[in-house]
Amino acid sequence: MKLIIGGAFQGKTEYAKNRYSVKQWADGRVCPWDEIFRAEGIHHFHEYVRRMLTEGLDPADAAQRLCQENKDVVIVTNELGYGVVPVEAFDRKYRETTGRICTKLAEQSSEVVRVICGIGQVIKG
Amino acid sequence: MIHLITGGSGSGKSAFAENFLVNLGETKRFYIATMYPFDEESHQRIRRHRRMRSEKNFTTVECYTNLKKLQFPSDSNVLLECMSNLVANEIYQEEGAGRLTVSAVLAGIRYLADMVENLVIVTNEIFSDGMDYDEETARYQEYLGKINESIAAFADRVTEVVYGIPITIKGDKMRE
Repeated sequence: MKLIIGGAFQGKTEYAKNRYSVKQWADGRVCPWDEIFRAEGIHHFHEYVRRMLTEGLDPADAAQRLCQENKDVVIVTNELGYGVVPVEAFDRKYRETTGRICTKLAEQSSEVVRVICGIGQVIKG
Repeated sequence: MIHLITGGSGSGKSAFAENFLVNLGETKRFYIATMYPFDEESHQRIRRHRRMRSEKNFTTVECYTNLKKLQFPSDSNVLLECMSNLVANEIYQEEGAGRLTVSAVLAGIRYLADMVENLVIVTNEIFSDGMDYDEETARYQEYLGKINESIAAFADRVTEVVYGIPITIKGDKMRE
């Protein structure tokens, strides 16, 4: 498993496409729930987490299943949680849940890359 | 040694800080808890943190303002968690330091660092969401930013934790 993280609009997906030969991407914003378990790559993973929370589903379960069933997947996700604590309870839950899940995914990943201005820094692997 | 540990929300910085302290050895461990339990969400957070460190032999000391009232044995290892709550308490609570928060907190940190063997401080990155906040929140950011910067200047180590991965900002790189 590979994890690509970074702020919004940093060229993460482009970077991932160049680094890994992934042809088929699941888009976390719109893909069916099950698609991530067989996709070669997932981008906008944080949006997938948000959609699940909105629907009252448990994204931690999905992440655990992902680690078991799709061990070679490339995951691209925004790095959240570098701002002031949000006023809305849902926003607080969203960013913290995403953080905890990404910490688990990072633990399972053989490589973690943080992309800033389109430039990747390998922080694990 | 003073070790400043920073990171975003949900980044795994607390678990990293606790393990760092545990790995320093069997010396008596203290945990300065600064989160004031004002609602159910904060109670939940406190319960979660207590669970996380339940097996790690910490003696918990609650301190919402004024670090200078604390006393520890000189050979102890102390974890302060976390600076962002302490600063909010100092600014907003009645018995807090108010406009003198920055100097009061820094004096408190120096006081603790002189007293104990190792002081590990967890703080928080709240500066990069690109939002403009009201004056009060901006002042909170300013105070916390100044405190982080000042502690980092005299700390032996500064580490940013990114999703559980330590990135050394100051000091020797850590080996896994």
